[in-house]
Amino acid sequence: MRGIVKRFPGVVANDHVDFEVRSGEIHALLGENGAGKSTLMKILYGMYRPDAGEILIDGERVRFRSPLDAIRRGIGMVHQHFMLVEPFTVAENVALGLPSSRRFVNDLDRVAARIRELAELYGFKVDPGAYIWQLSVGEQQRVEILKVLYRGASVLILDEPTAVLTPQEVEGLFRTLRRMKEEGHAIVFISHKLKEVLSISDRITVLRGGRVVGTIPAADATREELARMMVGREVVFRLERPEVEPGEVMLEIRDLWAMGDRGVPALRGVDLEVRAGEIVGLAGVSGNGQRELAEVIVGLRRPTRGRVQIGGTDVTGWPPAELIKLGLSYIPEERMRDGGVPEFSVEDNLVLKDHPFRPFSRGIFLNFPEIARYAERLIGDFDIRTPSRRTPLKSLSGGNIQKLILARELSRSPKVLIAAQPTRGLDVSATEYVRRRILEQRERGTATLLISDDLDEILSLSDRIAVIYEGRIMGVVRTEEADIEELGLMMAGAKSA
Amino acid sequence: MMRKIGFVALVLVMVDLISLGAPFRVAVILPSTINDFAWSQSMYEALMAIQEEMGEENFQFVYSENMYVIADAAAAIRDYAAQGYDLIIAHGSQYGSSLVDIAPDFPKTSFVWGSTAQTFTELGIHNIFAYAPHAEEGGYVNGVIAALLTKTGIIGGIGPIKTGDAKRYAAGFEKGIKDTNPDVQVNYTFIGSYSDVALASEAARTFVNAGADVLTGTAQMTVGAISVAKEKGITWLGYDVDQSPLAPKTVAASIVVDWTVALKPIIAMIREGKYGGEILPLTFANGGLKLVLNDAALEGKLSPAEIIELKALVWETLRKIVSGEIIIEVE
Amino acid sequence: MIGATLVGIATSAIRLATPYLYAAIGEALGQLSGVLNLGVDGIMLMGAFSGFYVTLLTGHPTLGLLAAVGTGGLMGLLMAFVSVTLQAEQGISGIGLYLFGLGLSTLLFGMTVGTVKAVAGFPPTPIPGLSQIPILGEILFSHNPLVYGAFALVPLAWFVLNKTPFGLKLRAAGQNPLAADSLGVNVIRVRYVAVIIGGILSGIAGASLSIALLNVFQQNMTNGMGFIAVALVYFGGWRPLGVLAGAMLFSTVNAIQVWLQVQGVDIPSDFALMMPYVITILVLASMARRRIHVPAALNKPFERGGE
Repeated sequence: MRGIVKRFPGVVANDHVDFEVRSGEIHALLGENGAGKSTLMKILYGMYRPDAGEILIDGERVRFRSPLDAIRRGIGMVHQHFMLVEPFTVAENVALGLPSSRRFVNDLDRVAARIRELAELYGFKVDPGAYIWQLSVGEQQRVEILKVLYRGASVLILDEPTAVLTPQEVEGLFRTLRRMKEEGHAIVFISHKLKEVLSISDRITVLRGGRVVGTIPAADATREELARMMVGREVVFRLERPEVEPGEVMLEIRDLWAMGDRGVPALRGVDLEVRAGEIVGLAGVSGNGQRELAEVIVGLRRPTRGRVQIGGTDVTGWPPAELIKLGLSYIPEERMRDGGVPEFSVEDNLVLKDHPFRPFSRGIFLNFPEIARYAERLIGDFDIRTPSRRTPLKSLSGGNIQKLILARELSRSPKVLIAAQPTRGLDVSATEYVRRRILEQRERGTATLLISDDLDEILSLSDRIAVIYEGRIMGVVRTEEADIEELGLMMAGAKSA
Repeated sequence: MMRKIGFVALVLVMVDLISLGAPFRVAVILPSTINDFAWSQSMYEALMAIQEEMGEENFQFVYSENMYVIADAAAAIRDYAAQGYDLIIAHGSQYGSSLVDIAPDFPKTSFVWGSTAQTFTELGIHNIFAYAPHAEEGGYVNGVIAALLTKTGIIGGIGPIKTGDAKRYAAGFEKGIKDTNPDVQVNYTFIGSYSDVALASEAARTFVNAGADVLTGTAQMTVGAISVAKEKGITWLGYDVDQSPLAPKTVAASIVVDWTVALKPIIAMIREGKYGGEILPLTFANGGLKLVLNDAALEGKLSPAEIIELKALVWETLRKIVSGEIIIEVE
Repeated sequence: MIGATLVGIATSAIRLATPYLYAAIGEALGQLSGVLNLGVDGIMLMGAFSGFYVTLLTGHPTLGLLAAVGTGGLMGLLMAFVSVTLQAEQGISGIGLYLFGLGLSTLLFGMTVGTVKAVAGFPPTPIPGLSQIPILGEILFSHNPLVYGAFALVPLAWFVLNKTPFGLKLRAAGQNPLAADSLGVNVIRVRYVAVIIGGILSGIAGASLSIALLNVFQQNMTNGMGFIAVALVYFGGWRPLGVLAGAMLFSTVNAIQVWLQVQGVDIPSDFALMMPYVITILVLASMARRRIHVPAALNKPFERGGE
């Protein structure tokens, strides 16, 4: 790809980007959110058309009008959010969009046979007749890769492929990728996780603000250097974690049961406690009850059995409004859906929880001057980048929306904080900011339950780590005694020692 | 003071204008369309006939069709009343409760409701007329004809909902058959809808499969049944309007309801300042019901001698109904 | 006697099921591609009218059927344009299309024909040989051609949906249009094709009333059948065989209720009339819990995601 330029209204997403990938190579594309990685790859995959620049494949200039053109030229993409049809079988997903060898009749039996061949070649197992919804996340990702391989792709683009995997599954993925490299495929690996990039790639290209900062061989790169290239300044990896003596038990959960959305129990007897000034990390593969646990604690889901206590008060089944008054704060996983009202302004969202109380309301009226003052202060304190306090929430970037939610939740001096996936999808600097704030809160004596799919995050923030699997706590370990191998096994369902 | 006198004078002039022959204005609410070959069409034809007789300068009418939603009908009735129509005809028994609500608000407007035998004078309402076709008389005559025409001895009837005219017609039809030939088997089915043409036709097919060779029925969905009768070559006996144009070889007889027989006296009473409280029957005796025989269809089914015999018996039946020798009881 | 009764009821049920089958299978195709079309009844009315009118003019029911196919296809195209291209709310657009079809068919009928008339539609065409089979011959093989067509449509639709590349694309467009798009499936085109075919089948459904089963046209003659067809799609779990089962259950209960009254069985007519609906509701309620085939993207317009 040479001199690629892509403009969107108001931004230049790609500014004369040059990028190349060779066969038999894993080339990582590293950058913060909004650095232009995805745009570049969507151009390569035919989903966007560049405003300038050219794409050459084996030295030949090509123009893609749709993904179909890219697929025909041997380019395949594994999306961050899987592009799978859940009620279809593996074979049907693979065959979708391809002409059948029997013209008007499907040839799923032949597709299945070819899938088995491919799976054997690349060293993984898959049942072509299984339905997608029956598969684990790691298996689903393999189906995505299969789709690309089946189409004879010589270039494979993987967009944030490890975000949803357990450490064991990440190892499995890397084995497959190395096998593919040996077979002569060219692989583009998009990520912002420095550790992974360093361990899997041969070369690394760093993007910042739509431009290429540099391309370096992975063997010569260090974490610190890559981070500096991404962010444009030094990044502190070791966050300061001063010793804090944990206080009283602020959040106590006993034998908690609750139903999931599909009508089967999502929590099956959870026992957990979090003390003041302590961060307890809840680790686990997503979908094992984390979301339901958070929802039960904050009053959005009714437990079927068990008890939740906050500061010694039994609050089981209390409505959210009462829990908020008691000093419970919540950073929800789906920040756009549960964290605010996208159409409301920044200031309205900032007082979403506290507007019925003084000083934001007088009697039945809202005190707008006070709300405005408060909003301006928080926008400053929490470095929320917004054109104005009247800007609708939905026009902010993900990092700034999360800062806004933090501002609202933390400025209330919470006794208990439930932080669900607080840095998911955020770039390095926003992530750093959010983590810093959570640690500050710990020093102020807040009891924090940190729910995250990102094991590194849990390891770097938590005092203790609890692992959840199928709605049960498999074990709780002190962070300094934690062994990543053992945590991985617990996340996969093995009982702790 | 001067202004008040002027106002009174104006009112007097207006009243005078009306009595001096401003046109009589009628609005009619119809549950189906004016070409339904049944209930609504018969009323439309009656109003056209009155207009022809009285002249367009003396008699004008407007109509709202397809008023099967009662709330819509009530709104239309109120609109027409507010616009000062002299007479508003609510042509469907389902409209009764709406009239009870609306009529007291417009004491100088006359309403007609039918078919029914209720005018709500007991509620202190004196501006509602009612008309009531004696559908059982029509049913009885068609029953006699059916009994004479059937060769298989099986006869069927298809009604909408078992109430009002449809129920009275069915009762008369069954009695007419039994009085003529007690051995004939007759069944009457109500399909639960005034508009489900497909179900009416399926009922007809089911009758044919069960051996029926003469069918009858009331309400607008029966066009589906008539079409089946035509396809199967059996006989249909119609009601409301002359249905023979629909299937000239199939419809052997139709009982035609002539609403002018009720409407003309009502108009006369309104002109004399009486706005309601009367129930006007429609019978063979007063000409509100008429029998139309269709020779073209009869000739296909019977020999000339049999036709003469049939006609004689039918005219005799009519005479007895008119004279009161035959009285058809309905519950 | 009992035998004859059963034959009669079965024959009735098959005839009554015909318009529902065309309309519900057409609707199922649209819904499986992600478009909920509530305008079925309006399309049926337009199909019924155009089929009737052309047959009345030309005397050839085949030409009438072609007219219904064309009208249904155009109405489907209109629905596709509004809901797929303009991305209007599907439920509302469908109701709009229904009212449009109801009004336009009534208006055109009033302008061109004006009064109830009968036409010579498709005559019953017993299939030589097969119709001679005792019992089954009468039940299955002594109908008019559009009845055979409706039942032939069931395996055809099943085959297309489950055994062809197009069926795979169609279902993918309704389950996960983004995924389909990423594999080069033209989701917009697939939805257009599905909704237009649905329109054509609804048009034929209307024509099956006006030029095959009844041979007359009357304002609003479908009497809400199109909406029952939509319900049958849910009932049938978006599978042609399920739709067939639903249509047959509904029409059989209807046929039984007509038959009971025709036979003079002494049950209150109101009770008999309730039966089809009561049984339909009971079955629907009992199946409400297992809805695996619900097209996940039903009612959701498709747009390629941006940054």
